[in-house]
Amino acid sequence: MITPYALKLAIQSLLKEKWINLLSVLTIAAGLLIISISFLVLYNIDIATKRLPEKFSMTVYLDNSLQRDRLDSVIDSFKKRKAVLSVKYISKDEAIRELKSSLKNSDYILEGLEENPLPASLEIKLREDDVRAETAQQLAGEALKIKGVTEVDYGDKFLSTLNTIKKGFKAIGLVFVAILSTGIIFVCYSTVKILFYRRTEEIETFKLLGATKGFIRTPFIIEGAVIGACGGLLSLAGCFFFYYALLMRLSINMPVFKSVLFPANLFMPLPVIGMLLGITGATIALGRLKY
Amino acid sequence: MIDFQNVTKDYDNQTAIRDVSFSAGKGEMIFLTGPSGSGKSTLLKLIYLAERPDNGEIIIDGFETSNIRESSIPLVRRKIGIVFQDFRLLENRTVFENIALALRIRGVSERETKSRAYDALKTVNLRHKSDSYPKTLSGGEQQRVVIARAIVPEPAILLADEPTGNLDPDTAEGVARIFKDIHAKGTTILIATHNRDLYKNTGKRVLRLDSGNLTGEGLG
Repeated sequence: MITPYALKLAIQSLLKEKWINLLSVLTIAAGLLIISISFLVLYNIDIATKRLPEKFSMTVYLDNSLQRDRLDSVIDSFKKRKAVLSVKYISKDEAIRELKSSLKNSDYILEGLEENPLPASLEIKLREDDVRAETAQQLAGEALKIKGVTEVDYGDKFLSTLNTIKKGFKAIGLVFVAILSTGIIFVCYSTVKILFYRRTEEIETFKLLGATKGFIRTPFIIEGAVIGACGGLLSLAGCFFFYYALLMRLSINMPVFKSVLFPANLFMPLPVIGMLLGITGATIALGRLKY
Repeated sequence: MIDFQNVTKDYDNQTAIRDVSFSAGKGEMIFLTGPSGSGKSTLLKLIYLAERPDNGEIIIDGFETSNIRESSIPLVRRKIGIVFQDFRLLENRTVFENIALALRIRGVSERETKSRAYDALKTVNLRHKSDSYPKTLSGGEQQRVVIARAIVPEPAILLADEPTGNLDPDTAEGVARIFKDIHAKGTTILIATHNRDLYKNTGKRVLRLDSGNLTGEGLG
């Protein structure tokens, strides 16, 4: 239980051991700042990869002999699927027109053709969350079973590469966060351990006078929490400095940095995260100490 | 209140207390005497659970302490006020803070702590030294601060280890008077001392220890 006296003891110790505490705060702040900057990089990569699916579409090639009423039922069967966002019919004429416009000045290569060799097709766009190799593969398999569908092109390599990139960055991010969080916990753990050893005699007197473990522990846990929270607060300030004073200034000469997004609200819990890591470190330290 | 039954305590194969049995009733005042190294301090440490017996049983105010759980030790210690031989005052805290600590540990409110700590300081005639630090006090004054800290929670048992060890006769007499007053309030007191003047003509029980053995019992 946090009593006013436990709070008083914690504040006294924080002030008395100011140098070791300051060092711990700076170390924690540095750790959290590195985590935050890594998060900022990952966040921007994630946003960039999320935009790619907007450009992704499946092309379902249709049999030339497909009748209009049959075509409508094929389109409907795709539209009914949950993963499908939109279905656009591209007729043979439209297809050749698009090809010509994309060839621009090189359209002479089509001049020798007596008839339009391009098939009619359906351009299917998937919902953002369903742009996955598995979903597209499943849909392609089902499409091929439909009478009138001759071929499906769904960019499987593009999708699996995109997924691998996303998973890779997530894994690297998680490992990075785990390593640095452990480091921060270890800093708090070591700090509390040192503070504890420096007060061994006092703690022995506390015990002999009838103090419970809770009475002895609470000030140290408060200290861990304050050290962690201060580290978090400092890292939060560091994040804003990094973005506004560094990236934004750099963007004057290097416009590429202008597109970097800064989700300020996602960084706001840093002091709380620091505090929780501090409490964890202090609790582990106190659990391992014999007193 | 205190019950020793065939208690033995060894330190590295050297016996500090051997097969000691005695009882102290509620409100009783007992002097424990004997030469240095006779086991007086060890016996007190066994009572406040700074040491555990190798053999025998110790019962403190109903608590059987041989197999006591770690979490119950503070409960036993809160029944006991201790006047340590080495004082154990916190050097970085004022006299008031040192005395108040005994109450804060017991969860007494700040308001009550303040009033009781000052009352205890008055009892030992050190009210004017409340803001001083232990290092600035004389040995006799420090001894009285330790007594004030021991009595402020109004414990059922008061243990004192050589409470007049380094005091001049006048100050020692003052300390003896304080113990008498506390005893008059019904506190069980056990004083380890080799100062004969402290128990002479008191009419109280005197237990004699020698090389860890309880060798005699009489009245002071």
